[in-house]
Amino acid sequence: MAKKNFVLSGLMQSKVTWAVIAELLILMVCFMIRPDFFSISYQPSTGMLYGSLIDIINRSAEITIISMGMTLVIALGGTDLSVGALVAVAGAIALKFLRWDVLTYTTPGDYTVCPYILVLTIPLIVCALMGLFNGFLVAKGGIQPIIATLILMVCGRGVAQILTDGKQFTTGYSPFRIIGQGSFLYLPMPIIITIVVVIAVALFTRKTAFGAFVESVGVNPSASRLSGIKADKIILIVFLITGLLSGIAGLIYSSRIMSNDSNNAGLNFEMDAILAVVIGGTNMSGGKFSLAGTVVGSLIIRTIVTFVYYFGIVAEATMAFKALIIAVVIILQSEPVRKYFAKRSRVREAVLISGGER
Amino acid sequence: MKSHMKKQSFITRITNPKYIMVYATIGIFFVIYGFGAFLYGDKGFTTIRTFVNLFIDNAYFGISAVGMTMVLITGGIDLSVGAVASLTGMFIAYGTSVLNLHPLVCIFAALVMGVGLGLLMGCVIHYLNVPPFITTLTGMFFARGVCSLISRESIDIKHPFIDSLASWKIYLMKYSEGSWVKIKPIAFINFNVILFIIMIIIGTYILQKTRFGRNIYAIGGNEQSASLMGLPVGRTKVLVYGFNGLCSVLAGISYALYVKSGWNLSLQGGELEVITCAVIGGTLLTGGVGYMIGTLFGVLLKSVIPALITFNGNLLSWWGKIATGLLLLLFICIQRFVVTSSSKRK
Repeated sequence: MAKKNFVLSGLMQSKVTWAVIAELLILMVCFMIRPDFFSISYQPSTGMLYGSLIDIINRSAEITIISMGMTLVIALGGTDLSVGALVAVAGAIALKFLRWDVLTYTTPGDYTVCPYILVLTIPLIVCALMGLFNGFLVAKGGIQPIIATLILMVCGRGVAQILTDGKQFTTGYSPFRIIGQGSFLYLPMPIIITIVVVIAVALFTRKTAFGAFVESVGVNPSASRLSGIKADKIILIVFLITGLLSGIAGLIYSSRIMSNDSNNAGLNFEMDAILAVVIGGTNMSGGKFSLAGTVVGSLIIRTIVTFVYYFGIVAEATMAFKALIIAVVIILQSEPVRKYFAKRSRVREAVLISGGER
Repeated sequence: MKSHMKKQSFITRITNPKYIMVYATIGIFFVIYGFGAFLYGDKGFTTIRTFVNLFIDNAYFGISAVGMTMVLITGGIDLSVGAVASLTGMFIAYGTSVLNLHPLVCIFAALVMGVGLGLLMGCVIHYLNVPPFITTLTGMFFARGVCSLISRESIDIKHPFIDSLASWKIYLMKYSEGSWVKIKPIAFINFNVILFIIMIIIGTYILQKTRFGRNIYAIGGNEQSASLMGLPVGRTKVLVYGFNGLCSVLAGISYALYVKSGWNLSLQGGELEVITCAVIGGTLLTGGVGYMIGTLFGVLLKSVIPALITFNGNLLSWWGKIATGLLLLLFICIQRFVVTSSSKRK
């Protein structure tokens, strides 16, 4: 009995538990409003599974991918504000390579001007380099991550606009369409990419010592330097990963709309990603991180949006509901509230144990 | 305290190394302004009108930057300012056009909303220990969402009171041949500019002359020491966020007077522009350092770049963003240099 209670109180104190409970509650409410919420159907014409759950996971792909990197940045005790701008940059470069010059190739169609391999790799390389630039400012310049990444956040969209001369290109190139709209194993492609990214990051951080290094640098950079961890190198790698993942998210985003939209691509993605990480139970002051929690956090954000659509409320107003639900989750996770719960369950345990002894 | 402090001469006071960042901001502003004067002096870049327009076009950023500077000095951050300002504009637009209320009623409602939200966020930050970034981000989502709930379309503000306030202006005069005449090309200052200047003065007074202001610096320097010294840390932090809410609402009013409409997506990303102004004005995001005069020149410095691009006429306006980013990089490097060199001196 007492042991069960310890497990329970441990779970109650874990932030991830709260995130999972919140997600389940929102899903329950969705199910009560729309009983067909969990139904999944197969569409033979596209070879894809359809349903609200699939849609939630599909639409949360970009944020989930970015927030994998963001989790590591936050575990280091920093934040990366530039990810949204990098999404725009990746889209702009990809579309620039697909169309090159709208004056020579006036109509969008099923063609690419530059080799497709460049369309896929150059945006990723540029985004990774931009991430490296952030990492360089933080690791070598000793600048606070939030300001260091503010630079690229401010001018990233400018770079994206200038790359495409402030124009919006569209394309019809079918291999490019596959990234955002194709399917594999009955699942939409973005879900597959997300799964691959999540597993890759999880393996990289948990099967090597890298994750432990990140946590130790996040808790105390100077102590970890003294114990022989190259903090600079860890920071550089983490920002590089985040840049690269933003690039992947940028390709998915622009493939969904088959166009570059430097004004709106990735708008507020940095905010959503940071929220996903925090809801998922990673502390903003750095240290321990939870990739699984982050995935749940990202799903919560997307589920709220879907949930609000079901009420027939205008799309832009979702933000207000998002704010309310997130406020509840964050307040429940906050230190004083968790301490209060922990104290209550400890009192109950004490009563139980003392009662047992008598 | 005053009795055993050596009375410093004016010269030693203004050459104090803690003002280096402010001087850097002012210096770089004049360098860029001089550069513009050199290139486009013949096109009218050096006229008083161009200079005054820097204030008119950016008054709303400046007003918000006053509150933001204080928040940043406490070591916090407030991402909700753009959304709260936008919501204020929406209150005024919706209230006057749809509900037929007097603008002052709408402004009062906006003040209650803005200051209330600010105080609430301050409480959550201090008492529940939620990071300021997350708290104010939620505040931003909330304000932006409510804005969209009210209306998704831009609403024009048509009310005689707002019109008269927006068109009220003082022409700059000069004395020539026995009478006062308007200077050519005509330059004027309006309500927004005056509000901006007043807010800067109020901000300077609060930070430099009041106990509240000293508490703000103390908390930013080291919150733990401040609370061990018995300073009212909680009250100060909550009030700073409340004051910033007030500034956001005033910025929203100023923006509404400037564009005469309310739109749910207006001032998107405005919070980061405001933070940029404060940072290039020499405020450290780590807290404890920052001056209103620096923020004033930070706003001017940030606004002189779009002015230059407009005068050039050939460049895409996006170059402005890139230039601002580079400026930010430059200032961060200077700050870094100042911090390392001063710590070496110790």
